[in-house]
Amino acid sequence: MGLTEQLKSNLAIKAVRNVQRGYTEDEKSRGLFRPEIRLDLQRSRLMTESFKETDGEAMVLRRGKALAHVLDHMGIFIRDWERIVGFQTSDPEGLYHPIDMNWRSVMRLVNSEGGRTLLDDEGRNELEDLCEYWKGKCMSDRHQALFTGDLEKYWKYEGTFLWSHLSELGIPDYEALFKTGLEGRIKMAEDRLKEIDETIPPDYVDQKEFLQSVVIVLEAVIRFGKRYAVLAMEMADAEEDPGQRERFMEIARTCERVPGEPPKTFLEAVQFFYFIHLVRYLEYSTLGIGIRLDYLLGPYYEKDLEEGRMTKDGALEILQLLWVKFLELGLVYSPLVTSVYGGVASLQALTIGGTDREGRDVTNDLTYLVLETANTMKTIEPSIALRVHNNTPDELLSAATDTIRTGIGYPSLFNDEALIPLLEKWGVPSEDAKGYAVSGCVYMEIPGKNITRRVEGYFVLAKCLWWALHQGVDPKIGEQWGARTPDPATFTSWEDAFQAYLEQVKFFTTKLAQVENTCRDLYAKYCPRPFYSAIVEGCIEQGKECKQWVYPSMVHDMTIVIGSTNVADSLAAIRKVVFEDKRVSFQELIEIMDRNWEGREDIRQACLNAPKYGNDDDYVDLIAREVHHGSEATMETVKDRFGFSKRGDGSAVSATYGLAVNTPATPDGRMDGEPFADSTLAPQPGVDKKGPTAVLNSCAKIDTLQTYNHLLNQKFLPQFLEGEMKPLFIDYLKTWRDMKIPHVQFNIVDSETLMDAKQRPEEYQDLIVRVAGYSAYFVELSEGLQDHIIDRTVQDLG
Amino acid sequence: MALSQEPDGQKGLIFNIQRFSIHDGPGIRTTVFMKGCPLKCLWCANPESQDFVPNLMVRDINCRDCGACVEACVEGAIWMNEEGRRRIDWDRCTQCLLCVDACIYGSLNVCGRYVGVEEVLEEVLKDSAFYKNSGGGMTVSGGEALSQTPFVTRLLKDARREGLHTTIDTSGYVPWKEMKGVLCFADLVLFDIKHLDSEEHEKTTGVDNRQILDNLRRVSREKEVWLRVPLIAGFNDSDAHMDHIAVLGREIGAKKISLLPYHEGGKSKSEQIGRSYGFSQATAPDDDRILYLKGFIEKRGIGASVGS
Repeated sequence: MGLTEQLKSNLAIKAVRNVQRGYTEDEKSRGLFRPEIRLDLQRSRLMTESFKETDGEAMVLRRGKALAHVLDHMGIFIRDWERIVGFQTSDPEGLYHPIDMNWRSVMRLVNSEGGRTLLDDEGRNELEDLCEYWKGKCMSDRHQALFTGDLEKYWKYEGTFLWSHLSELGIPDYEALFKTGLEGRIKMAEDRLKEIDETIPPDYVDQKEFLQSVVIVLEAVIRFGKRYAVLAMEMADAEEDPGQRERFMEIARTCERVPGEPPKTFLEAVQFFYFIHLVRYLEYSTLGIGIRLDYLLGPYYEKDLEEGRMTKDGALEILQLLWVKFLELGLVYSPLVTSVYGGVASLQALTIGGTDREGRDVTNDLTYLVLETANTMKTIEPSIALRVHNNTPDELLSAATDTIRTGIGYPSLFNDEALIPLLEKWGVPSEDAKGYAVSGCVYMEIPGKNITRRVEGYFVLAKCLWWALHQGVDPKIGEQWGARTPDPATFTSWEDAFQAYLEQVKFFTTKLAQVENTCRDLYAKYCPRPFYSAIVEGCIEQGKECKQWVYPSMVHDMTIVIGSTNVADSLAAIRKVVFEDKRVSFQELIEIMDRNWEGREDIRQACLNAPKYGNDDDYVDLIAREVHHGSEATMETVKDRFGFSKRGDGSAVSATYGLAVNTPATPDGRMDGEPFADSTLAPQPGVDKKGPTAVLNSCAKIDTLQTYNHLLNQKFLPQFLEGEMKPLFIDYLKTWRDMKIPHVQFNIVDSETLMDAKQRPEEYQDLIVRVAGYSAYFVELSEGLQDHIIDRTVQDLG
Repeated sequence: MALSQEPDGQKGLIFNIQRFSIHDGPGIRTTVFMKGCPLKCLWCANPESQDFVPNLMVRDINCRDCGACVEACVEGAIWMNEEGRRRIDWDRCTQCLLCVDACIYGSLNVCGRYVGVEEVLEEVLKDSAFYKNSGGGMTVSGGEALSQTPFVTRLLKDARREGLHTTIDTSGYVPWKEMKGVLCFADLVLFDIKHLDSEEHEKTTGVDNRQILDNLRRVSREKEVWLRVPLIAGFNDSDAHMDHIAVLGREIGAKKISLLPYHEGGKSKSEQIGRSYGFSQATAPDDDRILYLKGFIEKRGIGASVGS
């Protein structure tokens, strides 16, 4: 595998993956970016130039022309090892930043300790000049200018919810694009233009401006491809080595055709897809991928094989090159969001497996090749989402197990048997639901449909419970912040606390929705996306930009919920310690908790020892069920701008760590600022003592149909996924599927983790290891045996 | 709390119910570990399972040296040393377990509790979905599974009624008539073979192996048997000894021989119950040797596996 090694050496790891929590000195000093990494100003410079010229025109035309200007003039390059081309910035070490969205966070970043190295003085000066133009015009400034009164009060993050306009996801209609090429889309737009010239609809001007912008942008994207063809041809002419010359020629031939014309080969299809993916990122600071790679590209691969154009190894190389491309995308965030996402990750996931729109399994040769690519590349992105259903071949589960065993953290498994019914419940027609894909984290989307606005913020459920225990008043400043719920001294059962909690959820969901709904209207007016609109179904056809209408389903809106497990464990502790064992009164418990348990460790221990979710114990699991179902039902009573219900979502990523800082101690025994359970279905770390089957049983008590798409992390040693145990792991996966738990992903415990567990046993009390017919908690083993297992793990993971 | 549960004849004494058990028979299983064992094997991985009564078990990592146990102990067996760390004089400990109630940090615990058949079965049945997909079920192990035959018989019988696959993991050191009564409710017997030489056996386990080998032949006429051999370098891993085991296995029609390489898991547990661990010099054969032995057995026409 010389080639793979060579490719991997080319990987540009841009950020030190440094998940920060708050702004402690210790974490700051670790830095955020490699010293070679630079903020690339080209997009900002070109956009600003264009915007200065188009002052006075309709926004949809201005944004279209600005994107066209960027595509026509940004610096491009081809590296000699590439076969798939295109880059987000003009420099391989460059990072993208969306100045049109928010200049403040970029300025804050380059002036912060962690981001200082991103620009030199000259760059800093230029950035300041560029920012001068965007003051009052970037989306964030426009948004803040709208806020008055309560809107302003709740827009500011204080710990309950973090509103963000980070990611408008969505999956282009690659199936349709591959059929006609972008030229076909241009023709569609031109036909629609002709049509409205005859029908003169009431919104004639809006339609005309939008469609004109579509044509401007699509033509620019085709020119962008051809710029690479020209560059590749020049490089071929100057190249003496015949092999290398042929590689450049191949790029030239490919980019001459795509994305204007429909792709004919696997290579062309991959390059086509990548151009679209890239321009989507250039138009707008988006996230995710979402392509169903095997389903969409499998037929091209199979045809190439059949007609002798391509070998399996050849296709593997192309996928590996594509992986390099995915990893090279990355944008800068504000310091706070960087801490939430952990670096510059753009949460790119692609989807394999699952069913077609008729419900037939789609597994093909490319499905396996994608896994092989992951095995050989071992990159942090893209993550792979594997859709599992009742007819997923055992062979695929087996191949997936091998990939999981490498310890890269994916494929992450999505359960069609739970998620398709959920999508249907959300109003997605059955055929569309069967074709769903995952674009990033656990975001579910319907490929090709007009779904643009997804993550509206992070919502800390545990903080809502905390408000419920304080009547919505912040004890530090005495201000009424949440809803005025009854005095906890009057509560006679845990259910009373739960009702007050739900009232707080409703209160804050409403506040979040108000902020969000103003934002949506604002973005529809000032941030249209002509390119994205052109590549999904329905916009050109209706002459309507993607934010002027919506795919009719509540799949759109999602609020990432955090801390549900801590709410359930807290209510169970209240039930046990206050109302059953009567160790303290409710008031006393709250007072002790508000002192961060100081002086009453006995009460904290009693709360910690109350039943905890994740042990298949109905005492608390049924409370968890109430918490999940009740929170979701409450959220759904709040509506978006188009009248669809708000909903929760389980994609909390590292936010369970970063956003726990602003929640004081909670009745589950958690200390002030301690992290929450790491996903919606996960037990609090270290409390699940009955092993992985008990965890799944606990999870299964929460009905996906009554809630949303969840995330579940499970920890295993590599030994469980190999040899004689591998079939059992697959049986475990099948049981997970049968239980209709929507998601699971695996952290394969590596030797570093085990060494850490040896040093800090209190954090790893739940880590089970097997030692030849005998199982034990790792932290309780003798040092010699711990070392033995560490050595074994090193061997296993190679 | 700890003393409130006395044996009433209906209950069994267990020290653990382990779910997601994947080494004790086919599929994903739940293993019920009975407490109390007539053997005292030097290499025992679960020394806390040997006594037929509950006993104190200490998890030092949970201790915050708060001293509550010192107050609670009426025998003066617990004290704080000069560095302020909690220490236990095991010779003075009467296993009254009062200290366990005093400890709020989960550092002092009871190993062993009396449970009813229904309670055990309720826990076991929770993983039925996993048994179904993997061909698993319930395994009763120990300690010695068959030292509490009335309880285990009822447990197996009820488990069978629920459609579970049942397995017994035994040392075989039980009177035949006790064993026979249980067997009819078991689908599979995991039968330990430590050493075929009776003297060696007695030296290391405290009992000779005549009854064990006798029982093995009888069991194998009635039930599917897998032999399990704890592998200890220089003790029972010679070619000659392995050859005898393989021949025996084939003779009685054992389905396979599981080689369980020795590990020092019993060491830390011995410390946790205040016992000395007298087997510190022992080691498992090296990996090559283990693989060789696996092949060695397979060549003699019988299945072999390592670790399960």
